Amino acid sequence: MVSARQGKSKKAKPATARRAPKAAAAPGRDALSLPLVALLAAVGLLVVSVANALSRATLTETSLIYWAGLLLITLPIFFKLSSKEPSYRQRLVLVLLLGAALYGVKVVHDGIYFTFTDEFVHAYNAESIAQHHHLYYFNSIIPTTAHYPGLEGATSALMMLTGMSSYGAGTILVGAARLTFMAALFFLFARLSGSARGAALGVAIYTGSSNFLYWGAQFSYESLSLPLMVVVLMAFVEREAGSPERRTPWTALIVLGILGITITHHLTSYGLALVFVALAILYRVMKIERPNPWPLALLAAGAAIGWLLIAARQTVSYLFPVLSDALKAIWDTASGESAPRTLFHQSADVAEEVGATPLPARALALLAVLILFAALLVGIRQVWRRHREEPLVLLFCAAAVVFFGALALRFAPAAWETGNRAGEFLFLGLAFVAIYGAAELLRPGPRLQRRRLLFTAALGVVLFGGVISGWPWDVQTTRPLQVSADGNEIDSESLALAKFAGKRLDGGRFAAPEAEARPLLNPGGQIAFAGQGPDIEDIVNTGQLEPWQLPLLEENQLPYVVTDRRLASGDSIRGFYFTVPGRYNHALRERGVVHKFARLPVARVWDSGRVVLYDLKDRP
Amino acid sequence: VKGHRDLTIAAVAAVLCALVAALVPVEIIRVLAALPLTLYLPGFALVAATFDGEELAALKRLTIEVAASLIVLVLGAFVLNIFPFGLTTASWAVLLALFVVIGCFWAARRRGREERPQRPLFAAVPRPSPGSAVLVGVAILIGAAAIALAQKPLPAKHAEGYTALWMLPADSSEERVVVGVQSNEQDPAAYRLRISSNRGSQSRTYRVKLDPGEERTFEAEVPEPSAGRAHVVASLYREGRPGHLFRRVTRWLPRQQSFP
Repeated sequence: MVSARQGKSKKAKPATARRAPKAAAAPGRDALSLPLVALLAAVGLLVVSVANALSRATLTETSLIYWAGLLLITLPIFFKLSSKEPSYRQRLVLVLLLGAALYGVKVVHDGIYFTFTDEFVHAYNAESIAQHHHLYYFNSIIPTTAHYPGLEGATSALMMLTGMSSYGAGTILVGAARLTFMAALFFLFARLSGSARGAALGVAIYTGSSNFLYWGAQFSYESLSLPLMVVVLMAFVEREAGSPERRTPWTALIVLGILGITITHHLTSYGLALVFVALAILYRVMKIERPNPWPLALLAAGAAIGWLLIAARQTVSYLFPVLSDALKAIWDTASGESAPRTLFHQSADVAEEVGATPLPARALALLAVLILFAALLVGIRQVWRRHREEPLVLLFCAAAVVFFGALALRFAPAAWETGNRAGEFLFLGLAFVAIYGAAELLRPGPRLQRRRLLFTAALGVVLFGGVISGWPWDVQTTRPLQVSADGNEIDSESLALAKFAGKRLDGGRFAAPEAEARPLLNPGGQIAFAGQGPDIEDIVNTGQLEPWQLPLLEENQLPYVVTDRRLASGDSIRGFYFTVPGRYNHALRERGVVHKFARLPVARVWDSGRVVLYDLKDRP
Repeated sequence: VKGHRDLTIAAVAAVLCALVAALVPVEIIRVLAALPLTLYLPGFALVAATFDGEELAALKRLTIEVAASLIVLVLGAFVLNIFPFGLTTASWAVLLALFVVIGCFWAARRRGREERPQRPLFAAVPRPSPGSAVLVGVAILIGAAAIALAQKPLPAKHAEGYTALWMLPADSSEERVVVGVQSNEQDPAAYRLRISSNRGSQSRTYRVKLDPGEERTFEAEVPEPSAGRAHVVASLYREGRPGHLFRRVTRWLPRQQSFP
C-alpha cells in the first residue's frame, strides 16, 4: 500500500523524513554559562516569591518587583537561546529550565491552597475519587469536569500512593506535564524545522501565549491534555520521519495518547480530532507518499464523539451555550448592535471595580501582538518556501493566521473567553512560524550581538504581553488568604467558612456566592452551587427574597445558604481573599443580602459579620 | 528479564516502590517511592516493550517515558474504575507494579537473549566543573527557598480581621447545642457570649478571651419546650461595647427537616 502511494505521489521527498535536527556547533565558552543562567532563573523565582510575599503581607501595591523577577528568569534564557553556541542538549535543558522556572512562578503564587478558578473544581474531583474510590463523582460547579476524569484519576494515584493532598499531588503532576510539554514541543519543532536552535526559540516564543504562565499551569484538565496533545503531535512527526518498519511503536504511543486525551479534556480531544482530520485531507490532496493518517483521524474523532455521547452528554449543555453566545456576541458586535468590549477590562459580571491595567502595560501587550504579527509576516514566507510540502506545517501556518483572527474575538463581550482559550492551541502554529521570523533577525552578519539583544528584548515583550493579557493586572501577585497574627494563623472568611463546613457540616449542600462556593468545594469538600445554573447568583446577590427563590433552593435540595455582603463575593478570582480596607474586597452590598433569610425566619448557623450561613431547614 | 539489567532493575524497583508506597506510613518515604512508580517506571516499561531496538536519544526517550507514564495513569484510572474495588492505594500499587513487570517481561522477550549496551542518560554531558556544580546547587537551594517562602503565612496588618460565631446541635438527639467563637482578628480580643433559649431562665453569659486564630466552644443544654420548638440564640458582644450586638446565631430545635 505504501509503495502504491509512493508510485502515485508527486512529492518524492517527505519533508520530515530526511530532516534530522542539526546539532549546533560544539559548545564554546560563553559569558552566560548554563549554570549561571540557572542561578539567575532561581534568583528571579525568589524575587517573584518575595513580590508575592510582600503582596500577601499587604506591604506593597506595586508589582514592579514581580516583573523584575520575571525579567531575571526569562531574559538570560532568551539571550542564551539566541546564541549559536549551545548544543542540542543544552538548548533542551534551557527550555526545560524556562518551563520549570515559569511553572515555579505559578506555584509561588499559590501558597498552600489552590487559588485559581478551576482548581477548586478539579481538586474537589480528585478528593472525591480518593474518598469514594470511583470516578465520575458529582461536581456541583462544573458538572462536566466529572466526566473528563483523566487529570483527577491520575492525580488520585499520586494522592493515594503518597498520602499527599490534591494540592501536593496536583502540583507535582501538572509540573511533570509542563516539563513534558516543553520537551515535546522542542522535539516537535526540532523535527519539523530541522534546527535545534529554531526549536528552542519556538518553545521560548510559545511562553508568550497569554495563557501559558497562569491559566495553562493551573490544576485543570487542559493543563494535562495540552501537553499530551503536543506529545501526540511529536510522536506523529517522529513516526513520519522514521522508516516504515519503525512506525508501530510511535503509532502505539499516538493511539494511547489519543485515548488519554479523550477522557481528559473535551476541547483538546476535539482539537486533536480536527488536526488529524485536516491532516488526512491534506495528505490526500497533496498526494503525500507516506501513509494517510485517516485511521488516526477516525480514532480521534470516534473516541471524542463516542465519549461525548456515552459518558459525557452534559458537555453539550456546557459547551454549546458558551459557543453560541460567542457567535451571537461576534454577530452583535460586528453588526453594531452591541458595543465592543473594552480591552484590558474585567467582564461586566465582576461586581467590584478592580484596578485597570495601566497604560504602559496595555501598550506593552499591544506591542507584543505587533511583534508577533511582524514575526508571522516574515516567518510565513520562509515557512512556505521551505516547508510547504509538509501538511502539519501548513496546519501550523493556518493556525498562526487564525490566531490573529481569534484576537478579534476579544472585542466581543461574550466571545473573548472563547478567543482566549483558542489562543493556546493556535499559538502552537504561531510559535512555529515565528521561529523563521526570529531566524531572519538572528541571521549571521554584522551587529549580531545587537540583534541578539533586540531579539531578547522582543521576546521579553512578547512574554510580558502574554502575561498581561492572560491574567488580570491586579492579581498578578497574590493576596492574603491565610495570614500570621500574633504567632498564630488566621484565615479569610471564605476559607474559614469552608473549613468550618468541612469539619462540622460534612455532607451538607450549599448555595453560595462564587467566593464561598469554590472554597466550600475544596478544601471544604462540600457540595456547593454557585452561578447561574441553577440561578444561585441572583438569590445570594439580591436584598429581597423573591417568590421563586425558596422553591428553587428546595428543588435543588440546598438547605444551607451562604450570604456575603462583599461585592467581591461574586468574583471567582479575588473574592475569597481577606478584605483590605482602601484596597480591595471592601465594597459592600445592601444589608438585605445577608438579612433577608433571617426575616423568614430561619436559623443563622455561622456569622462573621459580612458572611452569614443560614440553614433553611431549621425554622420555627 | 534475566540478562537485561535495565529491565531487571525497573521490574524490581517497581515492586519495591509499590510495596513501600502502599505499606510504609511515613509520607516522605512514600513520596520518594511513589514518584518513580507513577511518573517514570510505567512509561519506561511501555517504551521498552514497544520501542525495543529503536535508537532514541536519551532525553527524547526520557520525555516519552514520562509522557507515557502520564497516559498510563490516565488510562489506569479508567481501568481501575471498572472493578468494584475501584481506585485505592492497593489497586494502584498492584496495577502499576504489574504493568511495569509485564512491560519489562514483554521487552525482554522481544529483545531475546542478547544484552543490549546501555547508554547512560547523561553520557554526553561533560562532568560539571566545581564552580558549575556550586552554581547549580545554589540555584536549587534558592528555588526551594522561593517555594518555601510562598508556603509560609505572613503577617498582614492591613488585612481586616473578623470574629465568627457559630452554633450547631451538639449531638443527634438535639438536646444540647455547641456554640463556637472563633477569632480571626489581628489582635487578642475579649467578648461576652450570651446563650439564651425561648425560656428566658435558661440564659447564660460567658466571658471569652481569644488570641488570633483561637477558637473556643461552649455547650449548653436545651430543655424541650412544652409546645413547639426550642429557640436558642447565641449573641456575642465585644467586651468594651456590651450594648452593641456584634454577632448573633440562632437555632430551633429539633430541626424542622423541611424547607419553609
